[in-house]
Amino acid sequence: MSLHYAFPPASGYLLNRCLYQLKSDDTFRERYLRDPEGTLREAGLDPERIVALRALDRDRLLALGAHAYLVFMASLRLKMASAPQTFERF
Amino acid sequence: MVLRVHAAYGEVKQLLQAARPDVICVVAGDHVEGFFLTAVPALAVYVGSSVSGKFDRYRYTFDVHEPLARAVLEQGIERGFDLAYSQDLALDYAFFVPLHFTMPEPRVPIVPLYVNVYLPPQPTPARCYAWGQALRAILDARPERVALMASGGLSHFPGTDQYGSPDYDWDRQTLDRLVAGRGAETAALTGEELDKAGNVEFRTWITLLGALGPARGRVICYEPSWHHGNATVTWPVA
Repeated sequence: MSLHYAFPPASGYLLNRCLYQLKSDDTFRERYLRDPEGTLREAGLDPERIVALRALDRDRLLALGAHAYLVFMASLRLKMASAPQTFERF
Repeated sequence: MVLRVHAAYGEVKQLLQAARPDVICVVAGDHVEGFFLTAVPALAVYVGSSVSGKFDRYRYTFDVHEPLARAVLEQGIERGFDLAYSQDLALDYAFFVPLHFTMPEPRVPIVPLYVNVYLPPQPTPARCYAWGQALRAILDARPERVALMASGGLSHFPGTDQYGSPDYDWDRQTLDRLVAGRGAETAALTGEELDKAGNVEFRTWITLLGALGPARGRVICYEPSWHHGNATVTWPVA
């Protein structure tokens, strides 16, 4: 049983895919920054997950099946998009 | 602190240059970068001819020693390790960071060896250790002169409430074991213990320890930062 990094349930797959793309896919991240709602809707997320992701509400995201490391890195990448020096503190 | 870590890397680079390896095999974990949920291998080998990746503003490419990578894959399978392989993935920064600082000059090719550390269920410590033992046997029978490197850890808790509280005591006690040549004891750890100590990535070290057996480590540095235990250790192996 994992304490910190839980098995990603299938119900969280689309959410994890979005987090993964926010972390590692520059094009997807730029698209998200221009149009968060539309980008996440197009990626198949339901309104509940869209709200949680846009708020970067970690506890809510974890409850919805998001992987803790992906939430961490996606949040960091989004912060870096507005403040690049964030990387140096990571 | 950063400068002391850089100095430790500098020392490793000098050791590597002096050792004149033909190839560096790097055991590291993937931070959900090369492998996403399309497929999550417990243990994998990259068998392309070169491999690239990116880490923020850094872009990197390494030559891969394809014959050795393929031998490790084929003989690993023969020895009962159901390895996955890839010829197309983004190389994780866990491989890049140590190589960025320690790659000898002139550069040598690498073999990326993956151990799943973040997506449960991860391989058990006992399995990682056994894979390391098999890896050693495979490498010992090869004509190349091989340096083996593990990257990952030590204690840190990215994305959790414990981010600011790594388990430095666990790290120090473990390093003491390695200095005493008691690396084999790490095979008896449980996944739960690693998770609790913020050391899910220690599986890469355990794999290396399987290859090293009772060799005694030398700790070049242990530097705890506010969110991360950072150690550099070498093992002289004839």
